[in-house]
Amino acid sequence: MTSIRRTGVIREYDMHASSVRFGYGLIIFLCILTVIIAVFPLIWVILAGFKDLKEFVSSPAILPRSLDPEPFMTTWNQLGIARNYLNSLISVAGSVVCALIFNGLLGYGIGILKPRGYRIVKRLIMVSMLMPTTISIVPLFMNIQNLNLGNSFVPLWLSYGANAMYVILFIQFFESLPSSIIEASRIDGCNQLQIFFRIVLPLSKPICAVIAIFAVNAAWSDFLLPYLVLRGGELQTVMVRLFVFSTEQTVNADTMMRAVVFSMIPPIILFFIFQKQLTENTVSVGIKG
Amino acid sequence: MQTARRKRFSGARAKENFHSWLIMLPGLALMTFFVWEPLIESIRMSLYKTRNVELVRFIGLDNFISVINKDDFTQALTNTFSYTFWSLLIGFVLPILLALLIGETVRGKSFFRTAVYLPNMLPGLAVIILWSAFFSGEKSGVLNILLGHLNIPPQSYLTRYELVIPIIIVIATWKGAGATALIYMAGMAGVNPELYEAAAIDGAGVTRRIWHILLPAIRKLAGTLLILQIISVFQIMYEPMVLTKGGPDNASLSLMQLMWQYAFGGSMNYGKASAVAVIVTLILLIMTAIYSYFNRRESDWD
Repeated sequence: MTSIRRTGVIREYDMHASSVRFGYGLIIFLCILTVIIAVFPLIWVILAGFKDLKEFVSSPAILPRSLDPEPFMTTWNQLGIARNYLNSLISVAGSVVCALIFNGLLGYGIGILKPRGYRIVKRLIMVSMLMPTTISIVPLFMNIQNLNLGNSFVPLWLSYGANAMYVILFIQFFESLPSSIIEASRIDGCNQLQIFFRIVLPLSKPICAVIAIFAVNAAWSDFLLPYLVLRGGELQTVMVRLFVFSTEQTVNADTMMRAVVFSMIPPIILFFIFQKQLTENTVSVGIKG
Repeated sequence: MQTARRKRFSGARAKENFHSWLIMLPGLALMTFFVWEPLIESIRMSLYKTRNVELVRFIGLDNFISVINKDDFTQALTNTFSYTFWSLLIGFVLPILLALLIGETVRGKSFFRTAVYLPNMLPGLAVIILWSAFFSGEKSGVLNILLGHLNIPPQSYLTRYELVIPIIIVIATWKGAGATALIYMAGMAGVNPELYEAAAIDGAGVTRRIWHILLPAIRKLAGTLLILQIISVFQIMYEPMVLTKGGPDNASLSLMQLMWQYAFGGSMNYGKASAVAVIVTLILLIMTAIYSYFNRRESDWD
């Protein structure tokens, strides 16, 4: 009947019973309903962006009167979002580089090199993963101010080099690498850094890809620390602008929805490019954690 | 000879150790600056009277006493537990159900997986603003438009004391449930299908197979995700901050939001803000300890 094998609880022969066939139909119905609930708000906000303020507040229709992209262009120019996009891009790029290098090297030390006393550090990082970063945002912000790093991307970039979850993902991946390869290169006279760059890194493309995707998305969406560091300055990112709009309520409802759409475009593009890695790879990595 | 070799060997070993720590140093320095030092510093700051970024003088537990004795603290504490309660009620079983449903589909499985994961990729702030349009009390609020088709008059949602926390949890669940469901699906995929076959031969129907094979297989995973969910809901902050500003009348004010208000809400009282942060940390630590206690007991039984 079908070329695809059933992998769930319901087996092929169960489908002979009409009650199970009905149940299966119900399952498909519920899945489709879930998809509609998951996607509808997104489609709604994009459609709402085509409405002007008058239509937005008065028209009860979900569909806009016209699909003229004019309102989007107007909002883009009026708010000067191009500048914020560029800022976000710089912020994200630096954050990803830091996330890979610093967490990767720390994970390499704990997962492969295991020098004397590494267990204490590993334990500390495990505990830090449970402790949210927002909880110590006040003293962190003071530290940044004391070092005169306000209104700069540097603290935001570096903050991604100190992510306990990324370190743990690296450790788990590195521990799964066959130790014989590393032992062999050690006997060949490679020092630890050479082993990292010549042996470990080329083998680690899957985990680096996963962490890069995570970091891109997190850095793009981040706004609390970026708001504190960048507020009022020239370097504000898209999310910082959006946060300021939402707290100060200086823009109209329709403009706000278009700003929301602008802030969602890069993550959605990222999602469509990497949907396979996101829905398959990350889960198998995350599950071990 | 033997000892000389050992000495040379241990010398090389010490050098290797040293180099390894050197490689880890940049990462450790960043962890210290961004995570560990601020955590300790917030404990110290909570014991000081502060003026802007300066520590003026040591005042013991005065910050704690003055924070706890304010009405908004009791309210925020109750609200935070209420957030946790609603989150468990709405958001804990739903991902398991979703995983179960999607796991049973044959055609379109990868489409369903992809679609339910999508909301998780969207920026949290954008999601909150987007949903504020849904729950808007105006005639143009999306929910009111949809209910209007059923001839139900426009309602106001976010100004209702009893609705505001469940609504925020519904939004958070909309964003996160699909991603959690994928984790459960991976756990469920670990069950050997032969077990289902064997149970079926013994006459177990679909429901009994779910109850006796599938659910026990994900019990441990569910326990871990439960505690992670509690920990993350307990820190809820920007959602009420953006959606309701903690209102109506502090009905959605969370503990972390209270911390933010002390620090950045105009008064710049970093000492009191740190006191709130320390209290939240303590509660989280206690919860984690309880979890690991039960987790260990459970492993003993296995």
